[in-house]
Amino acid sequence: MMSPTAARLLKVVFAVLLSLSVSACGYNTIPTDEEIAKAKWADVQNNYQRRADLIPNLVATVQGYAKQERDVLTAVVEARSKATQVKIDVSQLTDPDKLKQFLDAQNQLSGALGRLLAVSENYPDLKSNQNFLALQSQLEGTENRIAVARRDYIEAVRVYNTDLKTFPTAIWAATVFRSNKPMAEFTATDSAQTPPQVKF
Amino acid sequence: MVIARGPSSCCMAGGVRLPFALLALLAACLAVFGAQFPELTGRIVDQANIIPSATRQAVEPKLADLEIRSGIQLVVASVASLDGQDIESYANALFRAWKLGEKTKNNGVLLLVAPNERRVRIEVGYGLEGTLTDALSKIIIANAIAPRFKAGDYGSGISRGVDDIVTVLTTDSSEWQQRPSLRLDNDQLPNWLTWLLVAGAIALVTLLIVSPGFRWLFFNVALNLLINSGSSRGRGGGFSSSGGFSGGGGSSGGGGASGSW
Repeated sequence: MMSPTAARLLKVVFAVLLSLSVSACGYNTIPTDEEIAKAKWADVQNNYQRRADLIPNLVATVQGYAKQERDVLTAVVEARSKATQVKIDVSQLTDPDKLKQFLDAQNQLSGALGRLLAVSENYPDLKSNQNFLALQSQLEGTENRIAVARRDYIEAVRVYNTDLKTFPTAIWAATVFRSNKPMAEFTATDSAQTPPQVKF
Repeated sequence: MVIARGPSSCCMAGGVRLPFALLALLAACLAVFGAQFPELTGRIVDQANIIPSATRQAVEPKLADLEIRSGIQLVVASVASLDGQDIESYANALFRAWKLGEKTKNNGVLLLVAPNERRVRIEVGYGLEGTLTDALSKIIIANAIAPRFKAGDYGSGISRGVDDIVTVLTTDSSEWQQRPSLRLDNDQLPNWLTWLLVAGAIALVTLLIVSPGFRWLFFNVALNLLINSGSSRGRGGGFSSSGGFSGGGGSSGGGGASGSW
């Protein structure tokens, strides 16, 4: 015969054990990794935004020394305005087309920027301008941050997508988190593989 | 209940060997990855053997002093090879492998020199990006480091570079000057707060005894928290009791600047 207190105690123990085993079997893994991947995407987007914020200053500085490079300058300004128009929400990360659109716009800006920096090599006064040097190093740093953030995002997506497909988390993906779709991946740094074309 | 029972039994019985196999595989992978990086043996890691001992003796106390004063971990490293990577990727990976800086503040800085590739980089932890900016890092490399490296004088280049980094990090003192006062507040809780904590503890115990529902909730939440915190808790400081040196769990995201000579 079990006393009521003992029965209650048993219930508590059972509840604790259940919650332990559920979390040990990766119930939390999918939501956790999803949030991590989303946060990494926010990082990527922030760094692209940071780059976009630097560009007006850079264009203004270059303009002061190299007015005749109107084509290159307008290309940068146009690519920037296009790139800032394509926004991607964290809920749209599962849509590969949307992601491709975003990255294409950013890559176009990368190309235009590369041309601008290549052209500015021809202007010694500009190259020794302190403001330009500072902007250039900030731009380099931002490009590097973008590369790191993209790498982190790719890794986070890989982990999350693997969760959805592998045991034991796949059980939760097939039941409780049935609405969770794999996030779109993209290849490492396609912009780094094709250096900006310099035309003379 | 039914859903929960299935997998829970799976983990306990059939899953025992699988994690072991996975762990072994992971360890093997880590060994491969770890082999690429030199070990963090101190504040100066001179794998490429370019730092004269006089420089080492002069610079090391400055680095230690910086951490004592501000908590910032500044590490100087030279590597024999970048393994075919660009210095930006290598420095970022090395920084993360060494986990420089405190986990919550990410206040680490890595000065990496690759003499064979003739590349140098200042990699800045997330938390210091606002102080040691990309532009400032670039200026330090261009003015203090690269010209001396060009002349073949690695010792004075590193020494001047460290001096300049320390100057930048400590001149913007608004952040760390507040630390002593904050610490004092933390050490001595105000009287009323102590009593509030005691009252809270008593209320908690009473509730645990009286209400079964609360008990259930408490054990679920508290135990979950305990389990989760066990895996994610970071180490705080740099020095362990044995006098060795290790990173504090910080990370970087590609801030800083690189240069060549």
